Amino acid sequence: MNRDDFARDDYNALSDSDFRDLVRRFLAENHPPEIRHPAKRLHWEEAGPWYMILAEAGWLAPNWPTEHGGMGLTPGKQLIYVEEFEKFGAARTPDHGMMLLGPLLINYGSEEQKAHFLPRILSGEHIWCQGYSEPNAGSDLANLRTEAVPDGDEWVVNGQKIWTTLAGDADWIFCLVRTDKTGKKQQGISFLLIPLDTPGITIRPIINLELDDEFSEVFFDNVRVPKGNIVGEVNQGWTMAKNLLGFERIFLGGPRQASGALNKLRRLGEHYGLLEDPPFVRAFTGFRMELEDHQAIFSRVADKLRRGERLGAETSFLKLNQTSLYQRITEYGLALMAEEGSHLEPLEGSNDLAMPTQFLNARASTIYGGTTQVQKNILAKAVLDLP
Amino acid sequence: MIDEDTLSSIEMIRESAQGVVSRDDLGRIRRLRYTSPGFDRAVWRGMCEMGWPALRLPEDRGGVELGLLSYVALAEELGRGLVPEPLIPASLAAALLDGASLDRQLSGERLVLPAWQDARGTLAPMGPLALDGDRVTATKLYVPMAAGADAFLVIGADRVALVEADAPGVTVAGATLQDGGSHATVRFENAPAVRTRDIDPSEALANAQLATAGYLLGVMRTAQEMTVAYLKDREQFGRKIGTFQILQHMAVDIALEIEVTSASIAQAAQQWDAEGATKAAYASISRAKARASGGAMKVTRDAVQLHGGIGFTDEHDIGLCLRKAMVEAARFGGAEQHAARYARLHPMTEEA
Repeated sequence: MNRDDFARDDYNALSDSDFRDLVRRFLAENHPPEIRHPAKRLHWEEAGPWYMILAEAGWLAPNWPTEHGGMGLTPGKQLIYVEEFEKFGAARTPDHGMMLLGPLLINYGSEEQKAHFLPRILSGEHIWCQGYSEPNAGSDLANLRTEAVPDGDEWVVNGQKIWTTLAGDADWIFCLVRTDKTGKKQQGISFLLIPLDTPGITIRPIINLELDDEFSEVFFDNVRVPKGNIVGEVNQGWTMAKNLLGFERIFLGGPRQASGALNKLRRLGEHYGLLEDPPFVRAFTGFRMELEDHQAIFSRVADKLRRGERLGAETSFLKLNQTSLYQRITEYGLALMAEEGSHLEPLEGSNDLAMPTQFLNARASTIYGGTTQVQKNILAKAVLDLP
Repeated sequence: MIDEDTLSSIEMIRESAQGVVSRDDLGRIRRLRYTSPGFDRAVWRGMCEMGWPALRLPEDRGGVELGLLSYVALAEELGRGLVPEPLIPASLAAALLDGASLDRQLSGERLVLPAWQDARGTLAPMGPLALDGDRVTATKLYVPMAAGADAFLVIGADRVALVEADAPGVTVAGATLQDGGSHATVRFENAPAVRTRDIDPSEALANAQLATAGYLLGVMRTAQEMTVAYLKDREQFGRKIGTFQILQHMAVDIALEIEVTSASIAQAAQQWDAEGATKAAYASISRAKARASGGAMKVTRDAVQLHGGIGFTDEHDIGLCLRKAMVEAARFGGAEQHAARYARLHPMTEEA
């Protein structure tokens, strides 16, 4: 296959349907079949080859401008890209560099930082992880205490990050660190880039409910980081991180997980010979209608993005709706399996039927990225104007 | 995406509806409850003057030729005011009438109401219309607001027949409904038809189904408004009850249900407007009506709960929303019937 076939000077010049066709063909011809529809987040070992395929084709960063090596897609085209990736069941790569750090550097980084870091994300030389949460700063993220103290030409970092996704696969971590303890807690936070091979850093994997080491704790013990590794102004980290709305937020509200779980439920029904069983058909139909309803609300928010409107609280509605549906599909699927739902090994050794794994994976979806309860607190104030 | 012209015409429809429909004073709605025919003919004529029953009809039939998306927006505004005037049934009849009887229907001079249903929990007539010359014999169930009809349009799967309400052989047995309106079993025994017409009512019924979903969305919005206002006003334990987190979360669940219902209905309407009466478009309408029926019940139930004791009184308006939802959730097919039709239209063998 020749990946240059898919490179275009200006993807936005294509009509939406031509671009959609291009994305579909790209996936069909390039995505490694063995990691399609993964039940959980893949490690570098499995997802790395796919990352490199995207990198080589210039398809890694749909949301970055072309001058920085991205695809430079308009919001409308970005959505098509995401939609088609989701529909196809494309595996997520370790994408923190592309999704979160890249846009932040492009907006707030110095010229040197952009020139140094952006190409290395695109080439796969630097794999990034995100250091935001701490043991006492989860839902209340602004409460974070990992601190960076200036010392000569360096920052000295002490503290601990937690729930760091794929830290073990990463070379670098971007962190929110405390640089000022006086005043409002949101105002003393800075954004710092730290190489993970710096002395004083210890990474300890956490085994999660899927018995997988997707997360880690990252400890910082007198870790010395060059002054130049701070992004933007000192104490502006919170504002910068908060302003990064758009691509990654819409990504979290997409129908991907619920849609994957529903396909799994169908295969499970097929396996058990239930495709004409009225109770199964009724339950499946209910979920299927809900998924279509979710696609309807997702498209409505997507249209706003296409019109160039700023997204607000409605992205929280997307997340609430999708994760609730995702969980309920897996709960039903688990119950359907009866005793077989309690087996540790996937049914028939097939990931396609691994509903118990999916059920466990779904537990996390209402916790990460702002728990369901915190999202509801925010919506009550922002949308309903409750006291 | 919806084009600018459609958006601005929808905006105009909403504004003109808001001029007629009172959202704040439900006194008129209350007074009309449990009376016969349960709606105000003068208000109905006013709606006809605004061109509402003609909204969907092509221009050469005296219509405004607007899309289904515009029609459901209008129905939503009516639902917001819990309006009892039978716009949706009358529009269904108008879609199947022609000639002078259509003109009189659109002007409001005469009111023809549709009689299509043969059995409980059905979505369409179960068979062809039995005609003997110009004589109709049929038993039609759940004819809305039948006491206010000048004539009935008897609808079979293949044709329709217009029968005067006072024609020989027509008997009307009404039942009072939870919302204070009514419907009736209407028997036609060798009743003379003024006019018959060969036409398949499926598309007109689908429009009525989605419009009813729109109406329910309006009811949900009104219940939400009342409830949020109450949470901000009512104090217990020395605090506004809207500061209690569990009540806030219930209120957010209501808002989410409304967002999803609204998106579901708009998608179904846009699909119908874009691709016509395809199998997938019918399925989307069923999905949206199922969502609206279930959603309206959930939202109005929770709204009553959030009002506490006052919510259980007939004196408080929140109960009007619940009772309206009970009626409209079932009308033109409830959640179960529409889910079943959706499953027939999208069989299990098809990829989601």
